[in-house]
Parts: sequence; structure tokens; C-alpha cells
Amino acid sequence: MKNRILVVDDEPALLDVLEQYLRDEGFEVIRAADGPSAVELFSTHHPDLVVLDLTLPGLPGTEVLKRIRAERDVPIIMLTARTDEVDRVVGLELGADDYIGKPFSPREVVARVKSVLRRSERAGREPSATQRQIGALTIDNVAHEIRVGGKPVTLTPTQFKILDALASHVGQTLTRDQLLAHVSADADIFDRTLDRHIANLRARIEPDPANPQYIVTVFGIGYKMVKPA
Amino acid sequence: MRELIHEIRNQLAVAIGNVEGFRDGILEPTRARLDAVLAALGRIEVLLSQATSAEREERTPKP
Repeated sequence: MKNRILVVDDEPALLDVLEQYLRDEGFEVIRAADGPSAVELFSTHHPDLVVLDLTLPGLPGTEVLKRIRAERDVPIIMLTARTDEVDRVVGLELGADDYIGKPFSPREVVARVKSVLRRSERAGREPSATQRQIGALTIDNVAHEIRVGGKPVTLTPTQFKILDALASHVGQTLTRDQLLAHVSADADIFDRTLDRHIANLRARIEPDPANPQYIVTVFGIGYKMVKPA
Repeated sequence: MRELIHEIRNQLAVAIGNVEGFRDGILEPTRARLDAVLAALGRIEVLLSQATSAEREERTPKP
């Protein structure tokens, strides 16, 4: 069965581009150019995923997101021309599954749509696994507990969120932006302090923080969680 | 200035998206789409000159 995608943006020329790319990949596309019609089309057409611009006439994207989520737990990818951390975090705080800054490559949007759909199908829209084991590291994201070789380790909420984000993507590099996006708005985290949080995190979980086995730096891009050899 | 940057990013998305679509063979480069790209680029030009004059105004010392 074809997945149905609702694409919401107030720029018709951009809707056109996204629609054609998504159709080319076999998706069925519904378009909305303002907030109220996005909410209405969501209710009447039951899309499998929503690509939602944050700045919309009629009703802001954040409000659209809230109303959509109040109705049904559907994957949402946010688009925005604002790249301030605050905006980025606002969407993810509200429960968006991914975030794409403008300008973007339409192929990137298609790739993210596929990946978010895969992820959500695999997860059956359940929250991420409650307990993860990576090497000697155990992460329980219900109890919010970390153990290294069975010994409990205390982390700050920000450190926990960063670790959880990395641990849900073992072997995959997360960019600085993606990591920042996982951290809440009130945590007051900015680009450079991310490095400090990583350093503190390593100090708590790595056997030798100077030669990390779990959280590896990917120079110029971000960080990656790996399974120690 | 924030709004200007926001709008420039939006218009860039239109231009980049369309041109990539032409290159990838996903979009027909119709007259209407080429016009949309030109309109986006024209809008960026206007926005940039607005940004430039706003900056110039900021630099001019107030009497």
C-alpha cells in the first residue's frame, strides 16, 4: 500500500518540488498551504506522515503540530527557514520526529521521510526501546538509569538526553545540530557547550575518557556511538 | 534582520529545489517553473539589498 504524505508549506513552488520528488518515490501526496487546511486535510485524509513548515499563515506550524498530535500519533518532519536552536528545539520538544532546515535538497527530504517511516514502522510508534545494552553500558530510558559494568552512574538530564540520542543510533554519526535538537529548550545548551557535555559524559561512562570507546568524535560533523570492540 | 534571513532561506529552498529537480529529471523545466526560480532569485536580490541598506543605516552615526 502506498504511504500517504501530507506536505504543508506556504510556498507553492516548494510544495510543487516536494510533491514531485515524493510521487517519484511512490508516495501519495496531499498538499496544504496554510495551517487551518493542514489540520483539516489531516483529519479527512489520514496521512501516514506529515512534512510541516513551521511558519504558516492562519495557524502557526507549532499549533498545527499540537492539533495533529492531539488527534493521532503520526510521524512529523518539520521544515523551517529558522535555524536558531530555540526553534529547532521547540519542534522536537513538541514531538516532531525530525527537523530539516531550509534551504534543503529535496532528495534529503525524501531520504528523511523514508527513514522516519521505517523507524516508526519498526517501532510500531512505541517509544524507543526501554533498555539498551551497548558493550558494558546499560541505558534504561524509563527508569532514567545508566549502569557501566553493572555499576550505576549519575548523569544530568542533558547528558542523559545526549547519550540516549547517540545510543538510539549506534554506528550512525549524529551531527551537532541533530544532537542539539535532542536537548530540551530549558537546558540552555549551545554549540560549544555540546562539546563540554560530551566531555563530561565521557568522563562518566568511558573507561579511558582520553581514548573513548563508546562516544567517538567524527571530526567536522559530530559524534557517533559505537559498540566497543 | 532575522525575518530577512528567514525569507532568503525560503526563497533559496525554492530555487535549489527546482534546479535539483531539473537536474535529477524529477521536474520538467517548464516555463512556469523556470519563472518560479527566477522570481525566487529576484526576491533574494531585493532582500539582500534591503539587508545591505539596513546595515548601512546602522553604521551611519546618528546626529
